[in-house]
Amino acid sequence: MAWMARVRNLWRRRKIDVEIEEELRAHIEMAVEDGVREGMSEKEARRAARVRFGNPVAMKERTVGADAALSMESLWRDIKFALRQLKKSPGFAIAAVLTLALGIGGVTAVFSVVYAVLLRPLPYPEANHLAVLHEAMEHLGGMANLAAPDVLVYQRESRAFTAVAGFIDQGYDVTGAGEPFRAQAERVSAQMFPVLGVPPLLGRAFTQKEDENSAAVTLLSYALWKERFGGSPNVVGRTVDLDLRPYTIIGVMPRGFETPTGLGGIQPHDLWVPLSLTPAEKAAEADDLDYGAVARLKPGVTMTQALQDARRVLKMIQAKVPEVHLSIGLRGLREETVRSARPLLRTLLGAVLLILLIACANLANLLLVRAAGRRREFGVRMALGAARKTMLRQLLIESLLLSAMGGAAGLGLAAAAVHWATGVLPDSLPRLGEIAIHWPVALLAAGLVCATGVACGMAPALASAKTDVLDSLREGGQTTGQGRSQHRLRSTLVVAEMALAMLLLIGAGLLLRSFARMMETNPGFQPERTVTAYLALPKQSYPTQEQVDDFFRDLQERLKVLPGVEEVGFASDIPVIGRSSSRLFAAQGYVRKPDEGFSITSNYLTAGDYFQALRIPLIEGRHFDASDDLPGAPLVVMISQSLAKQYFAGRDSVGMHIKVGPNYQYPMPEMRVVGVVGDVSDNPVDAKQDVEMYEPVSQAAADLGPAAAMIGVVGDFHAVVRTTGDPQALEEEFRRTVHSADPTLAVTDLQTMNEILSSTEAPRRFNTWVLTSFAGIALALALLGIYGVLAYSVTERTREIAIRMALGATRADVERRTLRHALVLGASGVGLGLAAAAGLTRYLASLLYQVKPLDGLTLTGAVAVLLACAALAGWLPARRAAGVDPMEALRSE
Amino acid sequence: MAKSDLQGSLDLLVLKTLAQRGRLHGYGMALHIQRASDELLRVEEGSLYPALHRMEQSGWIASEWALTATGRRAKYYRLTTAGQKRLAAAEQEFDELVRGVRAVLTAAYSG
Repeated sequence: MAWMARVRNLWRRRKIDVEIEEELRAHIEMAVEDGVREGMSEKEARRAARVRFGNPVAMKERTVGADAALSMESLWRDIKFALRQLKKSPGFAIAAVLTLALGIGGVTAVFSVVYAVLLRPLPYPEANHLAVLHEAMEHLGGMANLAAPDVLVYQRESRAFTAVAGFIDQGYDVTGAGEPFRAQAERVSAQMFPVLGVPPLLGRAFTQKEDENSAAVTLLSYALWKERFGGSPNVVGRTVDLDLRPYTIIGVMPRGFETPTGLGGIQPHDLWVPLSLTPAEKAAEADDLDYGAVARLKPGVTMTQALQDARRVLKMIQAKVPEVHLSIGLRGLREETVRSARPLLRTLLGAVLLILLIACANLANLLLVRAAGRRREFGVRMALGAARKTMLRQLLIESLLLSAMGGAAGLGLAAAAVHWATGVLPDSLPRLGEIAIHWPVALLAAGLVCATGVACGMAPALASAKTDVLDSLREGGQTTGQGRSQHRLRSTLVVAEMALAMLLLIGAGLLLRSFARMMETNPGFQPERTVTAYLALPKQSYPTQEQVDDFFRDLQERLKVLPGVEEVGFASDIPVIGRSSSRLFAAQGYVRKPDEGFSITSNYLTAGDYFQALRIPLIEGRHFDASDDLPGAPLVVMISQSLAKQYFAGRDSVGMHIKVGPNYQYPMPEMRVVGVVGDVSDNPVDAKQDVEMYEPVSQAAADLGPAAAMIGVVGDFHAVVRTTGDPQALEEEFRRTVHSADPTLAVTDLQTMNEILSSTEAPRRFNTWVLTSFAGIALALALLGIYGVLAYSVTERTREIAIRMALGATRADVERRTLRHALVLGASGVGLGLAAAAGLTRYLASLLYQVKPLDGLTLTGAVAVLLACAALAGWLPARRAAGVDPMEALRSE
Repeated sequence: MAKSDLQGSLDLLVLKTLAQRGRLHGYGMALHIQRASDELLRVEEGSLYPALHRMEQSGWIASEWALTATGRRAKYYRLTTAGQKRLAAAEQEFDELVRGVRAVLTAAYSG
């Protein structure tokens, strides 16, 4: 393309200068040669040539100008022209740029989040060969992790993997490295590092021998190394105390290294120690499915083959425990890391696609209206001799200019949104730290929206360029046949926009209703004026349960005398954070239905005034008291109301008995129910809830009868302190009191119960907020769209309206007609939107709480809002139509 | 309608020269036009070179460096396909212009 060549010339100006100089010099030299040949002296000939030639510098400049500036000058002229055109209709320009910016910015920001969380490869080499093993027990349903001894069996027996690595989270109190703190640590097999394919940055990984011999060695995370050891390379070989036992630091893992954790996902940890299963763990019951196992598939082995291999190994395990029915599952690690976040991300992506579609439709509409309005301008310019090509070029430049401005604004918006999102996104999203603008998608979104802009900017110009010049002038800018088909296209676009906005509105409405439902839900306790903290007593300093119990009794006394403190209690778990452990239990006299699985309950071990501190209401019977802690006291439990209702239906549950275990025939001690308390939300209030059972911690071991050894010493507790004053003010006092009882004890997660409650509400708050703002944007765009179409249609039909009025139509008639037009468009959009919602809202089901996907109230509300918006958008044009003066309108023709 | 500016005429002369003579440098074109017009038309170098470069940018002519008969490096131009089309159009426009001007002149005499 010659035009391109000229632009290129700009960057080659120096070279061109030299070439032109040489060309001109050659000209003079040839003239001199000819002069000499005709008999002049060389001096004379040169002077003659120079005189004829004129000022060589000026000439060079003119020639260069012909080369390069020509094109740039005209390009610049076109840009200036386009800017002038846009300035003449600022409403259009602002609307178009905003539409572009919202479309591009929204898509880019959300996709960047989605990409970082969902699509970005795991930070391990050949991560698609990594898989996580899951066992499930028939009666538990759902996939859990493995029983500890099974990890060893898979390590030994499976053939499909290069290696299998076990892991389990464990907290340690770290001393001897600054202020004591509780480390989020993980016990991992020696094979973990080869399986993940990540070697330590410093030092070495665990050896098989260290794993087997329970060696006291540890690997530090990069962050911990920097924070507590100043990043010193001499750290290898030093020791650090974990739960007061000295561990030798043998290495440091690279920055950002993460390991698989719990159920699903990978996470950074503070440090790693060898898994080294204890004899107790190795002997544990097969139903304690807490130990994770990650494995690397051998080259060439498929997931299906690996699963078959795992099933073969499972048969060997099953042969030893015929009474439980185990099954095995295998999931890619990547699949595992994104499972929990998927519904939210899918919703966001869907919402953003809708916004993008609405933005495209809106932009198309704006440009179509503008182009139709400029038909006369084109006609005049063509009549005055403007080449079609020139006009198209100018329109293209105008469209590109709009796109560039919109694109720039969009990218700015995306950058701001991404920056903001990393601050407010719920922590449950994996790999939050890696979120950054994803440029390929930013460009893709920009490309898509700009292509729409250019296509819609050019198409009408092409169409009007084809029409006869005289036609467009004769019409006087009013539209006839072609105008009508364009009008239909615009109406269709508006209806589509309304339908899409309706979908978003319904989605947002459903989430808002869910959120309201969640806020209304009583968590079963009163979170106000309550402080909680997690305390884990190291087994080395508190080797017996009596010592633990004494410590907490002492701490309770110390806390109780603090000013304002009302009640102090302790429990192995607190509500709503969803970390509660569960138990198989059997209720006296309860007969399971044939297809019913084992009975499962959340279990809490309590000490002190736990129920009083949280204000969990006592419904029947009594609380635990000091007599229950006496040696040899009869075994007692408290149960939640729904456990009583479900398992002791129709009978007085106080005085009934409960056993831990799969059925009542099991040789376990009976525990007497002494009290029934209100239900609490074990998990975040919008999640599925269990029933609850409470045991005094002093009886925890005895409750398990023959399996008492399994529980060992229970030393970690959540403290709950209720005060009459400001709970936040109590926090420092609390920490000081704990340290007065034991200066080496780390106080973790010190916060108010209200903070805990609202942190569990954060994810829902976030997605509700996002979808609601999306719906707002969509509604605004749709409103603009419908207003644009009506306003334009009133303008182009001024004459028709005038004739109607001249023939006797009243102003009210005209106003009603225009409003009706708006409502017809709105209603069509509402109908389409409802039909789409009927098919699509069920994909939202997993995000809803106590609201059906086709919630009547939400649907009615959305219809009302949308129709109201349509009426609002139609109102102004209707007023204008009614204000047409028939005489003036007709005379001006 | 014919384009009747002087620049158009210079373009026509250059294009026609190249059509007749094939490859030629700027100096050669100036000489050729001067001789072929019986010394009636003298091409100003100050107009010729900008015109050549403009036409090259428009894709009507192409250039390359080559040696003259006397061994001097010079920039030679030749007609492109687009240039041949342009030449045909320009010739027609010029004919129309001449006809139009002549008609006006004739009418003036008879009136």
